[in-house]
Amino acid sequence: MTWMAPRTVAEAVQLKAEWPDATLVAGGTFVGILARQGLLASEDWISLQYVRELRELSTSSELALGAMVTHRRIELDPEISMGWPGVQQVFAAVASPRVRNAATIGGVLGDADYASDPPAMLVALDAWVEALSVRGLRRIPVADLILGHYQTSLEEDELITRVLVPRGRHHVTYRKLRTRSREDRPSVVAAASFHEGRVSVVVGAVAERPQFFPDLCATWKPGDSTSTREIAAGYADRIDPVSDNRGSAAYRTRMIAVEVRRALDSLAPAALTSQAAGR
Amino acid sequence: MTDPRIRASIRYPNDLTVPGMWHVRLVRSPYAAARVTHIDTSLLPEGVVVLTPSEVEPLGRYGCQISDQYVLAGVARHVGDPVAAVAAADEATAREAANLLEAGYERLPAVLDERDALRAGAPLVHDTHAVSDSDAAYFGLRPLEGTNVCHRFRIRTAGLPQGEPYTADPEPDDHAEGFDAAEVIVDETFHMPAVQHVAMEPHACIANWRDGKLEVTTGTQTPFNMRQDLARLFGLSDTDVRIVCPPMGGSFGAKTFVRTEAIAAAVARRLDRPVRLALDRDEEFVTLTRHAATVRIRLGATRGGRFVAKRVWCWVNTGAYADCGPGVAMKMGYAGVGPYRFDHVAVDSYCIYTNLPPAGAFRGYGAAQSVWASERVTDLMAAELGVDPVDLRRQNLLVDGDVFCTGETMHDVHFEELLDDAARAVDWQPGGDNRGKGVAVMLKGMQTPSKAEVGLRRVDDGRFEVLSGTTEMGQGSAKAIAQLAADLLGVDVDQVEVPPPDTDRVPYDTRTTSSRSTHMMGRALEAAVEDLKNSGSDYGHGRIANEGGLDVDTGQGIASSHWHQGAAAAAVEVDDETGALTLRSVHAASYAGRVVNRAAAELQQEGSIIMAIGTTLFEELTFDQGQVVGPNLSDYNIPSALDCAAVSQTILEVGGAEVHGLGETALPPVPPAIGNALASLGYRPTELPLTPERVLDCAEDPP
Amino acid sequence: MLLQVNGAPIQVEVEPGVMLLEVLRDQLGLLGARGTCGVGLCGACTVLLDGEPISSCILLAPLAQGHAITTVEGVPDDDPVVRAFDRHHAFQCGYCIPGMVLTAKSFLAECAQAKRCPSREQIAESLGGNLCRCGCYVKIIDAVQEVGS
Repeated sequence: MTWMAPRTVAEAVQLKAEWPDATLVAGGTFVGILARQGLLASEDWISLQYVRELRELSTSSELALGAMVTHRRIELDPEISMGWPGVQQVFAAVASPRVRNAATIGGVLGDADYASDPPAMLVALDAWVEALSVRGLRRIPVADLILGHYQTSLEEDELITRVLVPRGRHHVTYRKLRTRSREDRPSVVAAASFHEGRVSVVVGAVAERPQFFPDLCATWKPGDSTSTREIAAGYADRIDPVSDNRGSAAYRTRMIAVEVRRALDSLAPAALTSQAAGR
Repeated sequence: MTDPRIRASIRYPNDLTVPGMWHVRLVRSPYAAARVTHIDTSLLPEGVVVLTPSEVEPLGRYGCQISDQYVLAGVARHVGDPVAAVAAADEATAREAANLLEAGYERLPAVLDERDALRAGAPLVHDTHAVSDSDAAYFGLRPLEGTNVCHRFRIRTAGLPQGEPYTADPEPDDHAEGFDAAEVIVDETFHMPAVQHVAMEPHACIANWRDGKLEVTTGTQTPFNMRQDLARLFGLSDTDVRIVCPPMGGSFGAKTFVRTEAIAAAVARRLDRPVRLALDRDEEFVTLTRHAATVRIRLGATRGGRFVAKRVWCWVNTGAYADCGPGVAMKMGYAGVGPYRFDHVAVDSYCIYTNLPPAGAFRGYGAAQSVWASERVTDLMAAELGVDPVDLRRQNLLVDGDVFCTGETMHDVHFEELLDDAARAVDWQPGGDNRGKGVAVMLKGMQTPSKAEVGLRRVDDGRFEVLSGTTEMGQGSAKAIAQLAADLLGVDVDQVEVPPPDTDRVPYDTRTTSSRSTHMMGRALEAAVEDLKNSGSDYGHGRIANEGGLDVDTGQGIASSHWHQGAAAAAVEVDDETGALTLRSVHAASYAGRVVNRAAAELQQEGSIIMAIGTTLFEELTFDQGQVVGPNLSDYNIPSALDCAAVSQTILEVGGAEVHGLGETALPPVPPAIGNALASLGYRPTELPLTPERVLDCAEDPP
Repeated sequence: MLLQVNGAPIQVEVEPGVMLLEVLRDQLGLLGARGTCGVGLCGACTVLLDGEPISSCILLAPLAQGHAITTVEGVPDDDPVVRAFDRHHAFQCGYCIPGMVLTAKSFLAECAQAKRCPSREQIAESLGGNLCRCGCYVKIIDAVQEVGS
């Protein structure tokens, strides 16, 4: 059993290439759960706990979040609140403060759990990740990163180093439908952003990966209830939801229509104002 | 002195270790019904000991009311049924070994639903039903041989035909007598699923043999029942078994009767060393649950609102082993009648085996399931009659001197006061617009008959020790008993110590269930203090009993020497597009007689209400071919701090009254209060939990 | 491996894959942190890391190096939160209480720094990840609200 603790990202990816079976440990929560259940085959660990670069946060142009930045830090950062309200809202919505203290942005994207909050919003905000390996750096839009439940397009030896979110997405809404305890994970998530005349609505927690239909979104006429309902019905029609303890597929189909409609309705005032202003 | 629970100087069963102890892990059946054909230990690491069903079969069977369970299952009757036990010197090795043990199974047909288990051709979970000869089988047991019914309970008030043969029919079509005078009839069927106790501390025990005597340290509410059951299993006299009960990290009924102790004792005997057996969270879900039940009620009234007749059927899903299911079925039966006057009452309650994990004691003990049905039916009747639901109840509520359907005369009755308090709490408008509001009122029995004995020792000048078999699970019993003793002795409560029960030291007590302990121990203490004063020695003994019991064929007798009485009210809002139900207010009012420790009483009540919120809105065990779906706390939600903003309560005391238990009273009326509030908004709920999906599905006028 | 526990440096021998919870309980005899759900959800295993609550049942012990670990045993008897829990009788079986006390302490420290008195709803949110099956939430919130005022 080896515990490796590199100090730089370069060192980390080098170690990952040399120890292909070793488990990468970031915030540790998901890995901790798997280890506890005896589901991790490897007894070798590569811990990122001392890699300072991964905890860096920059708001100077786009929002650049190191992969190890915790949900809690994102929730509480005043510049993120002001410049990227959608990011602040979605990370604040996850579980409890204690869970948010340990969960990281790189972790939640790398885990790709279908019932997570952040992915849908990050897709709606056109966010992308940087993934590093010994072969170099790749830019992957979040929409292309998450392939399914616990499945990403990352290579075995790749490590998420940063998550980047473009500026200027101020008109956002995040809707989280819970069907049980107020501490529960979501049954349906609807994240929406209105930017430069376009709306992006992404539905999460209902299927293996976040669901985004730009062609439907492009038909939106803000304030027109028929247009809004058609888009909502379109989403409900195209998505094949899962059944789980938080709702049956049939219920989710109905709720997708409701939540998409409500998300669009909440963005309508801002969209209409910006249309009127000719933007 | 700060309470030891705050800074963790307390030790729970799960914390305890003993030098030289080994660790036990269980291997469990992955099938709902299967015969174990072989057990292959060839892959196991060195130094591991395995106990198999054939080795423990000679011990025979146990069960607190029906003897239907072997220490290890050679025939597995539910997913999770332990078929082997593995022991090793350290826990990691034991876990690894349990994973590597291979068991072969021959699958058998299984039945999972309580009514399907009664249909022709349903597989029999048990071929025969042997009634236990144990203290816990305190009423006549009536298994129906050749069926999955391990007990049936019947109430027939005088004036109805008596002694008719039993049919255990899943779709009864009886036009029961007694409804002739009924001008309006409501007949509806309700369902409550199984849920899990989710005590924060999992089951944990340590078993050890010393000079032929068995000692078990465990979390349990039933030390003397456990002592008797283990003694019989191992062929010992009661006094050769010692049960030591540290305070538990919650129980709510989960830690009752024999759970893992028999396996631990068998392994300890094989190893001739102490062993520890502690469960993981997922194992908790297959160890004990609350009975799922289908309850059908037919209520008849005059057009003027007087209740004439009530017909109740309970199909109680006790899972693979009966445990105390027969008692639960009985209590569910009469709680379903409710605190009302009737000309005629007929109840048939069936305790039915299925291949689900066993169900047993759970806070409310059967009352929750039938009160859900009964108080919903009361509101359905009010709607039929076009009358105010509170008025309809008032019109029919039992008062002092009235006779309950069991033939017993009611005394110390406060239903109307409690109902009025609950209605006030939601600002009920008499005859006005009460949309979004609902009420419920109920009665629940206290274990009758039962016995309690207590010892009182003067330790030295001014200090006393109370020897009581009441076990602590968070209800504050030790403190309450100390307070009661201190009051009687005229000393300060700090001068009285109440050590955790050890059956070698404390005298017999029926068990710590049914919210009976403060009441019964209080009375026993009165006798003990008298005895101490008169004895001229340093020891006083008090022995009391509450007499009574029911004839299980007629339901006549004394169901409860005194009754737990409670009412609840709720105010709700519904998002009619998502079905999400918001609780604006949930209030419970319970009769306490005399409160010993106010903070503890309020906590018990709040705790019951909050647990009831979980039952009402989202708690539900679902099964896939008998396997619990999502046996973890992410997939199974219990109420959090954010789910109880709306909770309030009243504890009704009456000067000079006896102490009444409060541990469960607020739970049963809360679900129907919420359900009735929802119904008033245009829904017809019959199934719990009221998840948003179920709410939409029961909308009377779907969009 | 060196861990800072309740203000004191302690040397522990630990396999890399072991969780902090097991180190605290099995090696250091600190039994206030309890494992009951195994997935970091119930809060019974809560300890403070540099004053912030974390789930010790899923924190690999080596990740706790270099951080100040506080368990409930490190909170003195005269701590205002401890006193308030005692005064309000904010407990029943007690199993979840250490997690509640530590989480409340951390939350109240944040409130004090921001110079705000938390509302009941805010307190409930801060404790949302600490489950109590006995249902002591009302009195626990009472206790925390009193200290926070």
